Amino acid sequence: MKKQAFETKSITESIVAFSQFARSHGLNVGIQETQDALQSVSGALLTNAALFKNALKTIFCASPEDRRLFDRLFVLFWETNPTDLVVRKNKTTVQGAVEKKANPSIVMLGRGKTDEDAEAGKNVSGANETERLKTTDFSKIGEIDADPLETIARKLFKEMAVRLRRRRKETRRNGPINLRRTIRRSLSYGGEPIDLFRKAHRPKKQRLIVLLDVSGSMDKYSFYLLRFVCALREHFRQLEAFVFSTSLIRISKLLQPNRLELVLTTISRQADNWSGGTKIGACLETFAEQYGKQTLNGSPIVLILSDGLDTGDPNLVGEALFKIQKRAKKVIWLNPLKGMKGYEPLAGGMQAALPWIDVFQSAHNLESLLELENILSDA
Amino acid sequence: MQAFEHPDVIIQALAERNYVADEELATALFLLLKLQKPLLLEGPPGVGKTETALVLSELLDTELIRLQCYEGLDVNAAVYEWNYQKQLLSIKLQEGSDRSIQEKEKHIFNHDYLLKRPLLQSITAETKSPVLLIDELDRSDEEFEAYLLELLSAFQVSIPEMGTLKATHKPYVVLTSNRTRELSDALKRRCLYHWIDYPDLAKEMAIVKKRLPDIEPQLLEQVVAFVQKFRLLKLSKMPGVSETIDWAESLMALGYREVNDRAFEQTLGSILKSAEDIRQVRSEGIGAFS
Ligand SMILES: Nc1ncnc2c1ncn2[C@@H]1O[C@H](COP(=O)(O)OP(=O)(O)OP(=O)(O)O)[C@@H](O)[C@H]1O
Ligand SMILES: [Mg+2]
Repeated sequence: MKKQAFETKSITESIVAFSQFARSHGLNVGIQETQDALQSVSGALLTNAALFKNALKTIFCASPEDRRLFDRLFVLFWETNPTDLVVRKNKTTVQGAVEKKANPSIVMLGRGKTDEDAEAGKNVSGANETERLKTTDFSKIGEIDADPLETIARKLFKEMAVRLRRRRKETRRNGPINLRRTIRRSLSYGGEPIDLFRKAHRPKKQRLIVLLDVSGSMDKYSFYLLRFVCALREHFRQLEAFVFSTSLIRISKLLQPNRLELVLTTISRQADNWSGGTKIGACLETFAEQYGKQTLNGSPIVLILSDGLDTGDPNLVGEALFKIQKRAKKVIWLNPLKGMKGYEPLAGGMQAALPWIDVFQSAHNLESLLELENILSDA
Repeated sequence: MQAFEHPDVIIQALAERNYVADEELATALFLLLKLQKPLLLEGPPGVGKTETALVLSELLDTELIRLQCYEGLDVNAAVYEWNYQKQLLSIKLQEGSDRSIQEKEKHIFNHDYLLKRPLLQSITAETKSPVLLIDELDRSDEEFEAYLLELLSAFQVSIPEMGTLKATHKPYVVLTSNRTRELSDALKRRCLYHWIDYPDLAKEMAIVKKRLPDIEPQLLEQVVAFVQKFRLLKLSKMPGVSETIDWAESLMALGYREVNDRAFEQTLGSILKSAEDIRQVRSEGIGAFS
């Protein structure tokens, strides 16, 4: 592949090479875009460098982020000459491959299972065994139980997603009248609308935003919770997901069941200061400021999964949550500690959060997570 | 139609119609015309996205067809609907005639009984390509987006009772979004893309001047400079260009030739739209922004 414009011989060749270059660096440029580019750059657009750049930008980009990336790539490809270009070997790009050295404890938790394992493990455990595992605290799961628990969790989460989805569809009966069908039928009654046909109720799209605490204290829980979030995504197609510890990362796009591993490693790679405390307040604040405009529209449900153990300023938690709660339909906080006997939400951050929470429940074992189905289905 | 062989020609033509476009937007419009691809415009509120489509239709001297999106927008509101009253009436009138039910059915599911909504209108234009504005697409839901995808690829609409209607003149399509949610990749890939940001000082002054040609130079410069500084604050509702114009207009109407303390106090409500924001700016005082 030609890496830079000076290596090519004609403008057509350069544009094709640039398309490949842009694609390999994360822009969504396919054959269609390349053709469009070739077709459009003639006449005026060829004689003026700024116009040429604008034209390609309009064709190659689809978001402000793309546009920023494009500006960099354009300079690299068209405007940099070989001597001042720092060659970076094997630099994987944008959402590219995962670096090998990720936080070991997190990778361990991932364990790299595929769906086939789930099939194979189907009859690992009987009914009693399932019950026992459902109620075991995630933090007390030993090596032996880890595999069967994962299998069961996967199965139950999947069932839950299916049920939630189905419930939304079962509402024909009392929907608005389908005039087209009714009138058609009325033809044989001389225009009397005797048989009324109805449309299914349009289920209102409920959006869900998940904020998952992946700080050190949540270590034991994070993996199962993340899997749970993946399952929720099957139901809430407009799900937005974030993880946080000392900083906030948006993971909505990464969230696909077979890429959990990638998510886990990405998180551990990006979360600087993995065990450097938890800044719940600051992270919620970042969320409200940076993503609030985009994601808090149309009153979504906000789900926070965290133990509330905060090393930042607890007042900040309350303030940020207040802002979020104002625009959310419901704020649900699931706290793994709440499953512990005698737990009281006394930790500063948790205390400060309570006034702005609509539902406060535990999230320490499978059973408690599955409870959420009821909360969500009548939301 | 005038030929637009260079983006500069477009900038010029838009300026004549009181729209200030920079080179990037002009290039995007240039490509829209040249490649006949839909153009997706994203950006914050009030930066002239909707206006772009309006002025484009003037430029091409063609009809503007507008579809305003909202949550729950469906095919019946966007594409077509049968005129049920008229159909019922017709059935009544034909009562006792010896037409068969099939014939009657064919009769009432015909052009005369069809209510064309914007999308159908846009592909059945009679003389020339219209401009189709699909405004605030991010407010519609995903199902509708999927439907739109089909329309934008094939420019045809199929009506079960009538068959497929193909575009006589392919419309020029402009879509806008405030990005309150991400549009699907599939849709975005069908479109050219341009992000309109808040204008810089010079551009915003040019816009206000276009809209309010009689404004005093000093007032113009002050107003725009203030607004540019407001946008650096964490406001709950950022003022768009339309607010800048409103503000300048109110100041002019009140006879102010510059923004002094009193003017500032008196008219803050036409630039800032939330009580919280007004309070914040007031507490910092005019001095903080001049
Ligand atoms: N570049 C410009 N040239 C001239 N007028 C402009 C320009 N940009 C904005 N305006 C003025 O600002 C007003 C608001 O613009 P418009 O309604 O098109 O914004 P919008 O981006 O569609 O906003 P929203 O996202 O709220 O729909 C227009 O009526 C127009 O008067
Ligand atoms: Mg608009």
